[in-house]
Parts: sequence; structure tokens; C-alpha cells
Amino acid sequence: MTALISLTNVCKSFGGIVVADHISIDIHGGEILGLIGPNGAGKTSLFNLISGLYPTDSGTISVSGKSLDGLPMYQRARLGVARTWQHMRLFESMSVLENMLVSPRDYPGEKISQIIFGAKQIKAIDQALHERALTILQRMNLTSIAQANVSDITFGQQKLVGLARALMNDGDCLLLDEPMAGVEGNAYDTMKGIVREEAAAGRAICVVEHNVSFIKDLCNSAVFMARGSILERGSVDTLLASKTLADLYFGV
Amino acid sequence: MEYLVSLAVLIGIYVILSSSFNLIIGFGGLISIAHPIFFALGAYTTGLLAIHCGIHPLLAVLAGGTVAFFASMMLSLPSLRISGDYLLITSIGFQLGLLEVIKHLSFTGGASGLGNIPNVVDGSSRSTVFAVVSCVVASAVVLIIRWLLTGPYGRVISAMRDDELAFSALGRNAMMIKLALFAIGSGFAGIAGGIYAYYYQYISPDQFEILQSAMLLTMVVVGGMGSHLGPVVGAVLLLLLPQAISFMNLPPSVMAPLQGVIFTTLVIIFLFWRPQGLIAPAQRQAQRKP
Repeated sequence: MTALISLTNVCKSFGGIVVADHISIDIHGGEILGLIGPNGAGKTSLFNLISGLYPTDSGTISVSGKSLDGLPMYQRARLGVARTWQHMRLFESMSVLENMLVSPRDYPGEKISQIIFGAKQIKAIDQALHERALTILQRMNLTSIAQANVSDITFGQQKLVGLARALMNDGDCLLLDEPMAGVEGNAYDTMKGIVREEAAAGRAICVVEHNVSFIKDLCNSAVFMARGSILERGSVDTLLASKTLADLYFGV
Repeated sequence: MEYLVSLAVLIGIYVILSSSFNLIIGFGGLISIAHPIFFALGAYTTGLLAIHCGIHPLLAVLAGGTVAFFASMMLSLPSLRISGDYLLITSIGFQLGLLEVIKHLSFTGGASGLGNIPNVVDGSSRSTVFAVVSCVVASAVVLIIRWLLTGPYGRVISAMRDDELAFSALGRNAMMIKLALFAIGSGFAGIAGGIYAYYYQYISPDQFEILQSAMLLTMVVVGGMGSHLGPVVGAVLLLLLPQAISFMNLPPSVMAPLQGVIFTTLVIIFLFWRPQGLIAPAQRQAQRKP
């Protein structure tokens, strides 16, 4: 079985700072891979390289067997790369539902020609998206805030909306950047449940997370990064027992 | 009466200009002040076609709009990759540079302007006809922009303005949307230029200088950036204000610079005390927290 997300020898540096040093990672459908490591290890940078925020210096990245090299961000999203952001980056002037409606991979509403010549078709698509968005919100127990402005809901809810927006993409690849940072209580359990369901649905999921128990609960395996390189990989328990990791994390 | 009717022509033209400028700067969040150059391109295209080809006025005005529509890409294609302050600087350069070109070409009439644009409406009701045409076109432009921005496209544009990075990462093509907004706004300015050329039968480069940019910016800021009716109110108000002052019988040496002073003072006052303008944008922006 080929991997849904595949990185081969990916390198990237900004001047003298190496954020990715020959990184090779394969993530298969149904797998949840944890990315752990101290701050500045290059975890988020790796997400930025996959989603196309900046180009790689060398190496190749492919998703569902299609190469992403040289493609701009929006085209990668259209190939099924969905990501969340550590600081959510929600559309703050809009409601929860509106945030989700603009987020599917292909959205004819962004094309002027469609707006002018395909008004009827767009209405039907909008209606279908509306239903899809509500189904996702229902799974997260957020239907009651669907019409609320995203800046008026709690932090935990905002984190969930960030994930909900990424799920509208319906792609094979899901990159979650610190989904649990600052999240507790109900939202915590909901988040965990949804990520598990999405993996069970066959998506390849990669999670950057500092919350060790979250990683332990969810991930099949993990990669430990520091200064742009992968130091160790394996099962979460093995990694957590590793001395190198403890040294780097706690700076002995 | 004739005076009021000619004022109505001007109001129609400026409602088109300020509404289309608002589409670019207020709704699109693209900080360019080069709007008058597209007004100029429309006016010159229409004027030259009317003089040399004698085509139907409707076609000439539409050609003016089309030229402005495509010419906007000369500015937007290279400069929309950058945004914010850089776009502003490039837009000033583009406007002044192109005006210099117009001033030095012989077929555009050079610095002394393009005259002898044929009169297409004869008789005593000439101004009335123009007033009706410009006000009908202005209403159409306001309604088209409103229609475009309610529903899916409006949603897409607010999302882009809120967070362009997250927007692109979701699969939206921000560049294409900016190009489209810029082209549509500029196309409308070109149409306004066409009507202007036919009405005044004379156009000159200095009518499209930075003072014109300042005037349009004032209309949009004072009226309410990002609202549909704001630029309409702004345009009407800022056209009536100088007329009202002219009744005060001030000497020309005071009158001439007074206009610029009024515009800048108004912008400063509004930016401090009512940054949302007279008409605050509906729902979405109003909800935004500081």
C-alpha cells in the first residue's frame, strides 16, 4: 500500500537556520502520526512545507500519489491537503457556518463567471455544502453556535471550528498543528473523538502536539524532531522512554 | 435649473467612481489609489474612438470600460503579489507614470488635452439626457456591486480580507479574486470616463491627477468604506460641499486651494472620530472586535 502522505529527503533552510534536514516520512491511510520535539524543532515548518507556504530547497512531497512540488498553496489544498493552524486563523468577521462554507476544496462561489452564469448551480452546491457543514458541526456538538460569530465563541469551540473548517476539504491528508493547545473539558474529548473517526475513515493524519497524553492516546507512532532533523521514530511509548528525548525536552 | 442638471451628471459619474473604488479598496482591501487613471483610460479611449472612428456612443463607452478593465491588469498582475503599502506605492507610480505618457503623446492631445469630442446629444435637453444616463448607469453599478457581494462571492471576499493565508490554505485562489475585483472596479471607472468624455467633450491629463485620487478616497472614507450606500452618500456630499462654498463668493485665490484643504481635513476628522464613515458597513464588519 502506498502512503497517502509521502516526504522524501525534504530539505529547507532559512539562511543558516535549518528547519528540515533530509526529512523522509510516510503516513498511510488510517494512521495518526505524532510529531514531537522541542520548540523550534521544525514541526510547524514541516506543515508549512507540505501545505506550500514556502517551497522546499530539495526533496519531494506527494499526497495520494500526486507530487506537490512547485504547486501554490491553493492547488495543494485542492489535491486534498487540509491543515489547521496553531493560532486558528479563523475568518473573524464571519459566522461559524460561513467559515465552513468557504472552505471546501472546490468552491464555485469564488469564480465570477460561475456567479454570473451559473447562479442556479451555485445555489444547489451551496445548499449541499450547508448540509455537509451542519453534519460536521453536529458531530462536534456545535450546531447551536452555527450562526454565531467566530469571535464570540469560546477558545475550545474556536479550535474545533478550525478543525471543522479543515474537514470541509474532505481530503486524504489532515495536518493538525497543536489542536489541543489550551483546550480542555468537553472540547478535548470531542477533538479526540473526531480525530479518531477521521483516521478510521481512511485519512492520513499528522499531529503536532505538546500534550503528551493526547499523543499517547491517539497516535499509532510518532517522530521525534530536533533542529530540523528526525532523531528517532517508533511507537509513542518507546519514544517517550527514550533518553535522547528526555535530554532535549528537559535540557539536562 | 441647467446648473442643477449638470450637477446631477457629475453626481452620477462620481457615484460610479466611488462605488467601484470602494469595491477595490473597501471590499477587496486592496490599497491602490490609482483609480483616476482607469477613469482617464476610459475617457481617452471613448474620446479617441468618437473623434476618429465615429462609432456608436454606446460602443465607445463600452470600449472605454473594456480598455480600463484590461489595463488594470498591467498594474495588478505584477503588483498584487505584493500587497499593502507596496501596492499603494506601485499604484501611485502607475498613475503618475501613465499620465506622463498621455501628456507626451501627440494623438492624445498632450498636456493641453483632447478636445473636439463630437456632441452626441443636441438641443436644449442635452444635460437632462446625460443626467438620466449617468444616474441610471450609476444605479446599475451600485446594484451590480451589491448583487455580486451578497451571497457566495461576498463571503469569499470577506474571508480573504480576514485572513489571506488561511484562505489560500483552504484552496481559494486569492490572486484570481483580487485580479477580478481590480478589473471589475477599473472597468466601471472606465465607463464613467466614457460618459465624462461625451458630456464635457474635452478631457485633459490634469483632471486625473492625485487630487482626483484624494477626492475619491475622501468620498469612500467619509461615506463609509465597505458599505454599499456609503460611497453614494460620500460622492453626493463631496460634490455638493464645494458648490455650497462657491456661493460664499470667496476670491479665486482662496477658493482654489480650499478644495484640497477641505478634503484632507474631512479625511483626518473622519479617521479620528468616525473611521467607519457616515454609513457603517452592514453586519459582518460591524461585528468585528477591535
